[in-house]
Amino acid sequence: MTYRLPPAVGEALTNAWLVGPATVGMLVLIFGPVLAVAVLSFTDYQLGAQGFAWIGLENYTVLFTDPIGQRAVVNTLIYVAIVMPASMILALLVALGVHRVASWNATLAGVLRTAYFMPVAGTLVAMATVWQMLMHPNVGLFNQVLGLTGVPGQEWLSDRGIVLYSLAVIGIWETVGYNMVLFLAGLTAIPEHLYDAAEIDGVRPGWDRFWTVTWPLLGPTTLFVLVVTAARAFRVFETVATLTQGGPGFASDTLVYAMYREGFVYFKAGYASAVTMVFFVFVLTLTLVQFGVLERRVHYR
Amino acid sequence: MKRILFAILVASFLAAGSAKAADVTLTLHYAHPNLWAKVQELVADAFMKKNPDIKLEIQAPAENYAAGVQRLLREAVAKKLPDVAFLGLNRWRILQARGLAVELGPFIGDAAKFEAQGYTPALRSLGQYQGKQYAIAASASTLVIYVNPELVAKAGGSVDNFPTDFDGLISLATKISALGDNIDGVWVSAHDWRFQSMLGSYGGRPMNEDESNITFDSEAGINAARLYSRLGKEAGMKTYGGKAARQAFAAGTLGIYIDSSSYLTRVVAGAGDRFKVTLLPLVVAAKDKSTVYFPTGGSAIVMLTRDPKKQAAAWRYIQFATGPEGAKTVVENTGYAPTNELVLKDKSYLGEFYARNENSRRAHAQVAAYSGPWYAYPGAEGVAVTDLIGAALVDVIEGADPEDRIKKLAAEVRTKLKMK
Repeated sequence: MTYRLPPAVGEALTNAWLVGPATVGMLVLIFGPVLAVAVLSFTDYQLGAQGFAWIGLENYTVLFTDPIGQRAVVNTLIYVAIVMPASMILALLVALGVHRVASWNATLAGVLRTAYFMPVAGTLVAMATVWQMLMHPNVGLFNQVLGLTGVPGQEWLSDRGIVLYSLAVIGIWETVGYNMVLFLAGLTAIPEHLYDAAEIDGVRPGWDRFWTVTWPLLGPTTLFVLVVTAARAFRVFETVATLTQGGPGFASDTLVYAMYREGFVYFKAGYASAVTMVFFVFVLTLTLVQFGVLERRVHYR
Repeated sequence: MKRILFAILVASFLAAGSAKAADVTLTLHYAHPNLWAKVQELVADAFMKKNPDIKLEIQAPAENYAAGVQRLLREAVAKKLPDVAFLGLNRWRILQARGLAVELGPFIGDAAKFEAQGYTPALRSLGQYQGKQYAIAASASTLVIYVNPELVAKAGGSVDNFPTDFDGLISLATKISALGDNIDGVWVSAHDWRFQSMLGSYGGRPMNEDESNITFDSEAGINAARLYSRLGKEAGMKTYGGKAARQAFAAGTLGIYIDSSSYLTRVVAGAGDRFKVTLLPLVVAAKDKSTVYFPTGGSAIVMLTRDPKKQAAAWRYIQFATGPEGAKTVVENTGYAPTNELVLKDKSYLGEFYARNENSRRAHAQVAAYSGPWYAYPGAEGVAVTDLIGAALVDVIEGADPEDRIKKLAAEVRTKLKMK
C-alpha cells in the first residue's frame, strides 16, 4: 500500500513545484544582483581591485552634491519631462489618425503603421549614426535646409544649451512608434456599439465623442503606455553613448550614461552602484505612484 | 609507390612531432580588431614559425581599448586572465595599479644591452612607472596637423609655407573660417590627451616628477589654455566631437584638423579623391626645444601570467612583437609609428615604405623626435579627472577666461586626486 499525502500538503507541494523554479530564478537573477549592487554602493570598490573599504553613504552624498552628479539627475528629469508627455500625445494623435485611415484604406494604414514602427524595429545605435549625420553642423541635412531658408544653422549636438533637447527629439521619434502600436491595440478593442450608443444619446462626433467614449476606454492602455514610456525615457543611454558621450562638458550626461561612465570608464564600481540604486528607486517610485494614483481613475471593463 | 607512402608516413610523424613540441601555449588578448586583427595574425604566425615550441592562442578581440581593459579586469576577478595583452598606452597603468602587470625588469636584465636592440630610453619611458618597466610600447602616435591644401590655398596660404607658430596657424584658420558659413577653419578636441600635447609643445608637464602635484597651471599650461581660447574666439572653433570633425574634414568643410597620427589611414581614405590630405608636424611653441615632448598614444604589451615557464615564453613573444620585424608589420598595416629604433635606422626595413608615404614619414619622425609619456593621473579618480579637464577646455573655447579657468581646474583636480 502506498502512502498518500494529505490533500493540503500535496497541493502545497504541487504549488511549490510549479512556482518554485520561477521564484528561484527571480531570486537568483534579479533580487540577488540588486542586493549585491546595493551592498557595493556603500563601498569604494574599483573594478578589478583586490579589496574595498566601507564608506557608508559617501557615494550617495557625492552623487547629490557633486555638480556632475546633480547634472546627470537634473538632465534625466528634464529629458523624461519632455519625452514622456510629447511621445504619448503624439502617439495618441498618430494612432487616432491611423485608426481612422484604416476604416477606409487598410493598405495605407498598414504602410503608415510600418513607417511609424520602423524606429522601434531598427537598432538605435545604427539609427543614432543617421541622426548624427542629419545634425552635423556643416554637412548635415538640417543645417543645409536651414541655410537655404536663410536661418543660421545650429550645433545640434555640440551646443550645450541645445544638445539635451536634440536628444529628446530623437527620444520622442524613437518612442512614438512603439506607443502608437499600443494605442492602436487599445483603440481596436473599443467596441463599436459603444459609439453607436453614444450617438443615440446625443454625443456629437469629434471631440465630444473622443472625450466621452474613446478616452475613458483607453484608460488601461494609457496607464500601461505611461509606465512603459517613463521607464524607457529614464533608461536613455544609446543615443547619449553614440552621439555625445555625455558631452560637451557633461551637458548631456544622464543617469544611465553616468552609471556606465563611472563603472566602466572610470572603473568606480562602488559609485556606479550608488547611481544604479538611485535610478532603480526613481523608476520604482514612478511606477508605484503611477499605479497607485492612476489605477483608481482607470476604468477596466 | 611504396616509397611515396613511406615518405608521407614519415612526414606526418614529423608533423605530429613538431606539433607535440609546442609545449607552451600562450593566450593573447588584444582590442580594436578593425585596426589590429591583421597585424596580430601576421605577427603571431611569424612568431610561431620561428618558435615552434610556443603556441599562441589569440582570444576574440575586444571592441576597443576601453572595452579591452574592462574585460581584463573582469577576467582578473574571475582569475581567467590571458598570459599576454595588448593595451592602450594610457591604460596599462590601470593593470599595474591593481598588481596585475608583471614587472619586466628581471627579464630585461642588462639595460644597455636591451637598449641596443632598439628600445631607446624615450621609448622605454612609455611603459615605465617610478623607474620600473611594466609594459613595452608596441605602436605609437602623437598629435599632428592634417591639412586640406585646397582650403588653405583659397584662404591665401600654402602647404609648403604652412605656419610654424600658433599665431600663424590661428590667423590662417580665421581666414579659412571666413570662406563660407559652413566652412570651419580649425578643430582640435577639448580632450586631456590633446591638451597634454599642447602643454608639451609649450614645454610644460601635467604633473611633477613623483606625480604628487598638478603642474598644468604653470605658465606653459596657461599658454596652452590661451591657445584653446584663441582658437575659439578668433578662429571660431566649434566643440563638436571627433567623428563630426573627421566627417567635416573628409567633406572638405574643415581646413585644419589637429588629431592623432593614428587616424592617418582613415583620414586619407575619407577624403578620397576630393583632395590630397597633407600631414604636418605639430607646432613646437617653446623657445627651448629640449623641454618639448608630445604625449604618445598607441599600444603596449603587458605580461600577465605568473607561471615562470609561460613568462619565459611570453617574454620571447613580447621581444618579437616589439622587435624590428613586429614593428615593420605594425607600420605597414596601421597608421602607427614604430616603437623600435632599429627599424628606423636600418633602411632595409621601411625605406621603401617611407619613400612612398611622405605623410607617414613626417608623422613618425615627430614620434622619434618628441615622444614622451602620456600622463595618467594617479588614484581612483584618475580617469574621471580627464573628463573634468575636457569640460574646462569646452568652457575656455566658449569664452571663459583661460587663466582663471585653468587655475580653477587645477584646484578641482587636486581635490579630486586628494593631492596636498
